[in-house]
Amino acid sequence: MKVAASIKNFLLSLAGFAAILLIWQLGVSFTSVGNLLPSPWAVAVRFVTMCTNTVGRKYTLPMHLLVSLRRVLIGFGLSAASGIVIGIAMGRSDLIRAIVRPLFELVRPIPGVAWIPMAIVWFGIGETAKIFIIFIGGFVNIVVNTFSGSRQVDENILNAAYMLGANKVQAFFKIVIPSCVPYIFSGLQVGLSTSWMAVLAAEMVSATEGVGWIITAGQQNADMPQILAGIIAIAVTGLALASLMRLLERVLCRWRVRGS
Amino acid sequence: MTMEKKKTVIEVRDVSKTFYNREGDHLVVDHLNFNVYENEFVVLFGPGQCGKTTVLNLIAGLELPTGGEVVVNGEKVVGPSPSRGMVYQTTNLFMWYNVMKNVEFGPCVRGVKKAERRKKAQYYIDLVGLTGFEKHFPVKLSGGMQQRVGIARAYCNEPDIICMDEPFGHLDAQTRYLMEEEVDRISASEKRTVVFVTNNAEEAIYLADRIILLHNCPTSVHREYLVNLPRPRNYVAPEFLELREQITKDMDDTIG
Ligand SMILES: Nc1ncnc2c1ncn2[C@@H]1O[C@H](COP(=O)(O)OP(=O)(O)O)[C@@H](O)[C@H]1O
Ligand SMILES: [Mg+2]
Repeated sequence: MKVAASIKNFLLSLAGFAAILLIWQLGVSFTSVGNLLPSPWAVAVRFVTMCTNTVGRKYTLPMHLLVSLRRVLIGFGLSAASGIVIGIAMGRSDLIRAIVRPLFELVRPIPGVAWIPMAIVWFGIGETAKIFIIFIGGFVNIVVNTFSGSRQVDENILNAAYMLGANKVQAFFKIVIPSCVPYIFSGLQVGLSTSWMAVLAAEMVSATEGVGWIITAGQQNADMPQILAGIIAIAVTGLALASLMRLLERVLCRWRVRGS
Repeated sequence: MTMEKKKTVIEVRDVSKTFYNREGDHLVVDHLNFNVYENEFVVLFGPGQCGKTTVLNLIAGLELPTGGEVVVNGEKVVGPSPSRGMVYQTTNLFMWYNVMKNVEFGPCVRGVKKAERRKKAQYYIDLVGLTGFEKHFPVKLSGGMQQRVGIARAYCNEPDIICMDEPFGHLDAQTRYLMEEEVDRISASEKRTVVFVTNNAEEAIYLADRIILLHNCPTSVHREYLVNLPRPRNYVAPEFLELREQITKDMDDTIG
């Protein structure tokens, strides 16, 4: 029953894609949309060419993707590490919460892209500025979620650990951290997708490689197939990153899953 | 039963507890006095909200009295200790650990070597009838099985006394009877001093060596009953029903 349902859903989603492609193709062939948009076939051909031939001076599309991914992994890694530590510290220590929370609440509503001019003034237009922008992109969500998780640790469960003989350090690592993990993951999930958006924004401002640059370069040359192929690469990579994170979550949080 | 000869394990001496809230002071325990003897199964019995959990928390050291003192094995209680175990009203398991890791938690944090604590935990897992479920996460177990894990976890730490706070309050009647039989069997094979809280007269009489009936809030001892019926007890034996009627009537008096 379950398998049949998921096959049905898969076929329906394929039908959805097919319908969009068909409408797109018909629109390009028979209406003036063709002046604004290349056909899906032209985009697919360009996508393949971009994978085998260089785009710009030296990189193929997969290499551009790797450049962007590397930036994201560094920036996101930094925001994950610092965001988790700050979120938990803020949640578990009254002193740190009193000091840090007002500062954080002030920084929190600033949109990530608003930091771009600051980043360029501070770090120039090199790698550091891009990584900083990605860092900011992921940081806020990770702190917010980790913080709320560490505020919701069940006091009764902590007491149960103390009653069994746990000391503060053991209670922290065996009770506080594991009960925060689901919250940390929802922060990481959102943080990763905002980091991925941030790298594109950063590369569109200044870069000589990366998928963000591919789109900007396409725009400058009025090369519509290149822009669309770039967008598709971004979408697919973003989806892959999110799925990877979900997979990791499923492994680390399998204790929460009811069914077998 | 000659209680006089038995060693006193828990002494609740003139204990009072007031909670200080924004709305005002709330006296919950008022000059409470009772003793519990070695390997005795004592049931604290009283209506809901009368202060039973508070009394257990005072014995466990999770709350401190505002008057009087609780003494366990000659030492005044000043905080939680692994020598006093607790089985909770709601299943208070570590959901991120499987059954084995839950049960061995106490010995683990107290530094017992892995091989030794595994062996011990396996013994208690077998004792509560969870053999084969060692690797299961609590979320996959039924409410009754989760309480079995809670019981094994408390016993595995080998405390001097075990407190149980309405451990079967959330179970359906069928499972509840089954768990009462299990606790009766476990406490017969693993002699411990047990303080068991319930508001169910039938459960109290089925399990207790002695029942302490508590007053409605602010609570103190209303009456005590020695239960001398042979075990395992028969819920419909005339003596059982007679005692049940008596206790239910006495409890109604504490409320009225
Ligand atoms: N931490 C607390 N602060 C204030 N009041 C409390 C606290 N714990 C319990 N009480 C009050 O003490 C009374 C008895 O509670 P409790 O010991 O849980 O009763 P029982 O377990 O018999 O149902 C209740 O009126 C409850 O509101
Ligand atoms: Mg209670």
